[in-house]
Amino acid sequence: MSNNPYIPMPVKIDKIINEVDTNDIKTFRLTFLNKEDEEKFKYLPGQFSELSIYGKGESPIGIASSPTEPGYVEFTVQRAGAIVPGLVTASLHDLDEGAQIGLRGPLGKSWPIEFLEKKNIVVVGGGFAFTTLRSLINYMLHKDNRSRFGEITVVYGARNPGLLLYKEELAAWENRDDIKTIITVDKGNDTWKGREGFVPAVCKDVAPSPQNAVAVICGPPVMIKFTLPVFYDLKFAKENILTSLEMRMKCGIGKCGRCNVGSKYVCNDGPVFSMAELEELPRDF
Amino acid sequence: MSDSALKKIAIDKINDLAAALMQKGTLIAPVREEKGSNFREIKNPQDIYLDYDNTLLSPKNIFFPQMEDFVNYQLGKDATPAKPVELNLKPAFLFGVRPCDVRSFAIMDTHFYAVGIIDPYWKARRDATTIIGYAFDLSKPADPADFYNTLGIGAADPEGSDIFMVKKDKELLLKGITPQGEALLNGLTMLAAGNAADEKYFTEYVKKGKEPRTRMMCLDDKTIAKKYEQIFENTEYWTRMADGCLSCGICTFVCPTCYCFDICDEDIFRQGARRRIWDACMFTDFTLEASGHNPRTKVYQRLRQKVCHKYSFSVRKYDVISCVGCGRCTRSCPVNIDIYSIVSEAMKA
Ligand SMILES: Cc1cc2nc3c(=O)[nH]c(=O)nc-3n(C[C@H](O)[C@H](O)[C@H](O)COP(=O)(O)OP(=O)(O)OC[C@H]3O[C@@H](n4cnc5c(N)ncnc54)[C@H](O)[C@@H]3O)c2cc1C
Ligand code: SF4
Ligand code: SF4
Ligand code: FES
Repeated sequence: MSNNPYIPMPVKIDKIINEVDTNDIKTFRLTFLNKEDEEKFKYLPGQFSELSIYGKGESPIGIASSPTEPGYVEFTVQRAGAIVPGLVTASLHDLDEGAQIGLRGPLGKSWPIEFLEKKNIVVVGGGFAFTTLRSLINYMLHKDNRSRFGEITVVYGARNPGLLLYKEELAAWENRDDIKTIITVDKGNDTWKGREGFVPAVCKDVAPSPQNAVAVICGPPVMIKFTLPVFYDLKFAKENILTSLEMRMKCGIGKCGRCNVGSKYVCNDGPVFSMAELEELPRDF
Repeated sequence: MSDSALKKIAIDKINDLAAALMQKGTLIAPVREEKGSNFREIKNPQDIYLDYDNTLLSPKNIFFPQMEDFVNYQLGKDATPAKPVELNLKPAFLFGVRPCDVRSFAIMDTHFYAVGIIDPYWKARRDATTIIGYAFDLSKPADPADFYNTLGIGAADPEGSDIFMVKKDKELLLKGITPQGEALLNGLTMLAAGNAADEKYFTEYVKKGKEPRTRMMCLDDKTIAKKYEQIFENTEYWTRMADGCLSCGICTFVCPTCYCFDICDEDIFRQGARRRIWDACMFTDFTLEASGHNPRTKVYQRLRQKVCHKYSFSVRKYDVISCVGCGRCTRSCPVNIDIYSIVSEAMKA
C-alpha cells in the first residue's frame, strides 16, 4: 500500500521560535527526512497538515509558512487543553529542536488564489488564528507574486502586545509601501506605541472599499462575530468574505466523519469557506 | 444480470462447498452465537448457519474491522522506526449476505473510494473479496424492524453480489452474477448443473422478492433530503425523536453504513500502535474540541446528525440515502428508538 494517506512522513524539528510572552505559542520549523517527501509536499496558503507524535496522536494545524519559502514547513501551535493538557500540542511543546515527529498533508482547500488574483485583499486576523493568513501575506508579498494582486491591507490584533505573533515580520511589513499594515492591541503597555482597540472597531475605522475587494478573516469566534457586520455594512458581498472553519478532526481526508457539517467535510471541502457557502450549511459548528 | 448457467448443491452437502472455498482463501459466513448469528471466519464448515434471518452485527467489519492498526512502533530509548502495517490479504469469500447488506457495500464504496481520497484498507479488502449473496427466506415473514423495501431493495435482489443464492427446498441454487462469480462457480466441481425448472424457480424467486414484505413508505431521496434541511432547526421534532436516547451508540455500531472512526495511539509496555477504531456521532465527546467548545452537547443534536447524515447530507454529497433499512438499529436500541418512525414523522413535521 504505497500512497497510504494515513501514514505520516518523518520530519525533524529544525527550529523552535517562542512567539509570545506567555510561552504557550511556538512556531515549529520542520524539515523532511526524505527528499521525495519534500518534493511531494506541494501546498498553498490556507491548507493544513496533521502533526503526528507516536504515542500521543495527531492534530490538524494550519501551515504558517509560505510555499515561496522552500526547504521547510512551519506551524504555529498553541499548547491546547481547557481542562487537561492537550495530548498532542502539549507534547509538541515539550520537544526540543532536533526531535523527530510525523507529518501528513498538505490537507484541505487553500485560500482560493486564482479568485484572489487582481483583487484588493483585506486580511483580518485576531489572536493566534493568524497562521494561515501569515502564509497568505508572505505568499502575496513574494517578488514573483506581488504584481498578481491589487492593494493589500492587513488588520491584525491581539489582546496585548506580548501576544502578537511574528513580531519581526510585522515590523518588516510596516516598513514596506506595497502593503498597508495596521496592528492593534486590545490594551497596550508602557512600551507600546501602536494602536489600541478591538479588531472590529479598527476595521470600521480603516473602512476598506468593497470595490474589487475580498476580505479574508480569521480569529476567535467573538472577533468573527463582531467583524462580519462591519464588512456587511461596508457592502462586502458574502461571496467576497472568506474564513477558515475549525471543527474537531481526525483523518483530515474526508473519511472518518468527525468534521461533518451538513453535506461537507470541513477537512476536505474546507477548511476555507466563503460566508455565502457557510450560509448554505446547517448551523451545527 | 448475465445469463450464466445456474448451479446447485444439496444443503446438507454445503460442507464440501465450504471446504473448497476454504482451500482457495478465507471463508466468512454466518455462525450461530449466543445472542444471534454473526459473520465469522469459518474454521470448521459445520459452523455455517444458513437458517438465520439477518445477523446481529452488519458484515461491514469484514472490510472495516472494529479496530485495526495503521502503524506499529516502539516508544522510548530503544525506539525503532515506525512500521506501517501491511495487509497480506488472501482471497476471501463472504458467504450468505442478505441483499440489504450487499447494497450497503456499494454505499460504503462510494464513501471509502469512489469519491475523494481512497481508503486503501477498505479498498484492498473489498477487492480481495467475492460476495456470495443470499435471498431472504420468502416463506417466513420479514422481521418487524426491517424496512429495506422502503429503500427500493427487494428481499431477493442479486445486484451487487458476485454470486447469488436462493434456497429451494433442500437445495441451494447458485447463480454467477459477475464474470468473477461465474468463473468461481465453474471451477467448483462439487456443484451440479441446474435444470430448466431450477432456472424458472430462481427467476421467479427474484421477482417475488420485489413484492413488499417489510415496512414501507413512499420515500424519494431528494424530497426527504430537502425536508430535513427545512426541519433542521425544528427543535420540538428533534427533541421528541431523541426522547430517551442514552447516547450509547449501539445503533451506529450495528449499522452497515455507519463509518465514523477515531484514530488513536495506544501503547502497552512501550509497544505502541496508531490505530483506527469505530466511533459514533452519538457519543457526547465526538465533536468536543480541545478548547472545551462542543457544537453538539445535546442528545437531540447528535441524533439529528445521525439521521440527517443518512437521509439528507449523504443524498447531497453522494446522491444516495445511506441507510438500507436493515432494521438493526431499531432491533438493538435499548429504548426502542426507530429510525423508520423518525423518518415517517419527518414527512409530517
Ligand atoms: C483546520 C484546522 C487548523 C488548525 N490550525 C491550528 C494552528 O495553526 N495552530 C494551533 O495551535 N491550532 C490549530 N488548530 C486547532 C488544533 O487542531 C487543536 O488545538 C489540537 O488538535 C488540539 O490537540 P490536542 O491533542 O493537544 O488536544 P486534545 O484535547 O487532547 O485533543 C485530542 C485530539 O482531538 C482532536 N482535536 C481536539 N481539538 C481539536 C480542534 N479544535 N480542532 C481539530 N481537532 C481537534 C485532535 O485530533 C486531537 O489530537 C486547527 C484546527 C483545525 C481544524
Ligand atoms: S440506519 Fe438502521 S436501518 Fe438504516 S442501515 Fe443503519 S442499522 Fe440499518
Ligand atoms: S441505540 Fe438507541 S439509545 Fe443508543 S444511541 Fe442509538 S438511538 Fe440512542
Ligand atoms: S477529519 Fe475525518 S472526515 Fe474530516
